[in-house]
Amino acid sequence: MAGSTIDHLISVTVFLGAMLIFISLFNQTLQTAILYQRHSALATKCSDLLDNMLLNPGIPEDWGKSDVTPVGFGLQDPEFTQYRLSPFSLMRLRSSVGEPVYYPRTGLTYSNITMGLGNFLLVPYSEAINYSAVAKLLGINGTYGFQLSITPIVTVSIEEIQRKNPLILSVKVTGVNFPLANAHISYCLLTIPIGGGSGSYPFYTIDYGTNFTDAQGSVPLSFPYVKQEVSYVFIVYAYLGGLMGMGYYEHVTYIGSYIIPFIDDFAEGRMLIAHSYDVHNDTDTAEITYNATFVVLAEDFTLRSMSVENSTGKLTYGIGWPYAYVTIPKNVRSNPGILVITYRKSAQETGVVLMPWGISSLAFPVVFGGDPTGQEWVATDIRQVTVNGVAYQAKLALWSLGG
Amino acid sequence: MMRTIEVMLVIIIILGAFMIASFFAVLPSPREVSPLNLRRLALTTLQLLDSNYSLSAAAFVDEDDSSFAEVTSQLQIALSACLPPNIIYNLTVYQVLGENSSELYSYKWSISNAESLGVGSDAASLLVASSNVTFRVTPEKIGERGFGGTLYILNCSDARGWWITGYTAHSLAQDLYNLLSPYFQKTIMVQNTTDLGKILNGTALQGETLQNAVVINTFGEAVPIPTEYCKSPYWDNNYARYCHFLGNMTRLYNWTWVSIVGYPFYYVSNTISLKDNQNGWGIWGMNQTGRAGINAFLQGIDNRNYSFNSGDIVYTGDVVVSLSSQVLDCCNYYGIYPYPIQTSKRALSNSTLASYNLFPKLYIFNSIYTQNQWYNPGALYHHMKGTRIEGSLLALGVTRTPDIRLTAIGLLSYYKPRLYCSEYTAANVTRLVILQLGQAGGV
Repeated sequence: MAGSTIDHLISVTVFLGAMLIFISLFNQTLQTAILYQRHSALATKCSDLLDNMLLNPGIPEDWGKSDVTPVGFGLQDPEFTQYRLSPFSLMRLRSSVGEPVYYPRTGLTYSNITMGLGNFLLVPYSEAINYSAVAKLLGINGTYGFQLSITPIVTVSIEEIQRKNPLILSVKVTGVNFPLANAHISYCLLTIPIGGGSGSYPFYTIDYGTNFTDAQGSVPLSFPYVKQEVSYVFIVYAYLGGLMGMGYYEHVTYIGSYIIPFIDDFAEGRMLIAHSYDVHNDTDTAEITYNATFVVLAEDFTLRSMSVENSTGKLTYGIGWPYAYVTIPKNVRSNPGILVITYRKSAQETGVVLMPWGISSLAFPVVFGGDPTGQEWVATDIRQVTVNGVAYQAKLALWSLGG
Repeated sequence: MMRTIEVMLVIIIILGAFMIASFFAVLPSPREVSPLNLRRLALTTLQLLDSNYSLSAAAFVDEDDSSFAEVTSQLQIALSACLPPNIIYNLTVYQVLGENSSELYSYKWSISNAESLGVGSDAASLLVASSNVTFRVTPEKIGERGFGGTLYILNCSDARGWWITGYTAHSLAQDLYNLLSPYFQKTIMVQNTTDLGKILNGTALQGETLQNAVVINTFGEAVPIPTEYCKSPYWDNNYARYCHFLGNMTRLYNWTWVSIVGYPFYYVSNTISLKDNQNGWGIWGMNQTGRAGINAFLQGIDNRNYSFNSGDIVYTGDVVVSLSSQVLDCCNYYGIYPYPIQTSKRALSNSTLASYNLFPKLYIFNSIYTQNQWYNPGALYHHMKGTRIEGSLLALGVTRTPDIRLTAIGLLSYYKPRLYCSEYTAANVTRLVILQLGQAGGV
């Protein structure tokens, strides 16, 4: 009797222990399978969502060129099909990497995509589309987080070999870790001659040209007419077999005070021209004059300059003329281009700043959305896209917020 | 002891079950769990390379061409430059042979940056056309699926136009012929007012069907008048009675009368019978009917007796107007692109036309609201007799100079003839490019 009871107790204990072990083993297998399933679903969702963003222009179609808030989100260029994105819609996305800029004179905070000193894209928060609004429009608010990166495929790097007599620049064109040999390049050199021009507004000259890169994707360019050190900006478009990229380089002789352009109104093509002291509270408060021009890329890959309204003016910090406006003419407003603003403190102290009108004009990258750092699993997918002819790679990182 | 043995047996069975389940429940590799969509990447890469037709040009270079090495080298550079470093590719070009051949495709050449594409790969294809190929578009003829199908374009050599500044009626007629004749079963240029008189009398000029025809008056605010109508009673009230007659004929033959610009029926013109008349602005061979013209036409189309009425039914202010969304859509379909913003100068009152039973069927421009009522700068109206259509009027009240494309796109937006495109996969002019991508390394 006692033996059978002990036998019973041992058997039940062993059985229960074994069951627990097996349940945990099976559970682990099932959990792993479910996790895999979720990750697989997340990857599918990522691919779908990326296509959803890139293959529809949004509602209204021209929201990128206006001041309206879209009621449907999409980045496709409404004038094209396929993966061609609107350079203007991308410009209205609030950057998630640039430090926002507050400009006390307007009392507004600006989304900041600045690629080094002298290359600005500052969009007021009131005009920029933010992450949570887009998540709502996409129907994923509270369920998924995402980050969309639009990065140029072709990198055009420019190095100054010799500053004067003659000015020599080296242009190197590379793709994703691969040089673009025999690429066609089209360039534009805008120089501000010392003491040139009449009146106090900076005078500038523009020189255009074309060339080809060598087997290493490089080409040296010489400008013999640049005898003295001057402020200049060099803009290059490179093209090979359907891939187009662009790059730029600036050299300025005066950086104490400079111009900072802010976007004021998308629909009107109006930019606000501010004195750097009013934005950064630098030490230099010198009055500066400016002269603006708008450069567009023609279909034959050559650059053309267009005059803009109120192209010249002067700025002082705080008082007098705290800021001015420059308006892109209506007939060229729908074309992407580059706003080139030359400025001058004295005959020898000049500089130049650039602002893209349409994100592709200066091949600015865009990072929009949340931060994937620390997420348990992030699915990614990529597409090759063009933005006004410039080759970009669109990458979407997606993660679940559902736990 | 037996129970312990039984439990052991159970444990062995469950362990066996677990091992069998684990053996069959193979979890996918991480690459399969969260894959890069190689198919989409391949497709977008092909589209990117063809964004300026570079790929199309490269695909039609054959191995025996002198430029083959250079072209394929450039293509390889472009592919390597735009794909992520861990992606390997194989790009193959095929010639599309067409249905009459035993094979659908034949291999031409391929390029690759690896011997094999690894354990998993995916592909996308793109059809590219030769730059020598021309695509034909065959439009459906208006009237094929119903009534009508005749287009009359008034090109009378013995009449003068007004508010067609910068053009002549004959040049406008020729442009309209070029734009619209492919869409109609029969297009007839009415070369003089005698021929106009014939069709007004119900006589076909070239055996065409008069009923349900479209009549385009290219003379702007003037309308040609045959000599036989330059008499009583048609000359009553400066030929307003003639406009009443035109309204009657429009109703009788169920025509669509088209006024291309300005105030409709404001003048009548015949350079022979009215040679001693001028329109008030020094243009001889023309008589000013004034505002009574359109009122008389509306009475005629509504089958009312003629009574002189010179009331103003037009808003003559300058208003910037925009093309309606329906017409804008059709611009893309038919490839006719008038500027979408125009200036209205002679917009017709919606309520007045409704009182004559003319109701807008197609808004060419968006309506404007002013002086407490709606005006239409451009619209096609149906004259309704109950549920039956008895005549139509297309009136474009834009300012001079006329853009004839507005008339063309207005009519096409109303009739909506379909366009039949030739096949894209025509033999020997199309090549198929397949890009196969794989991932190097990793699991």
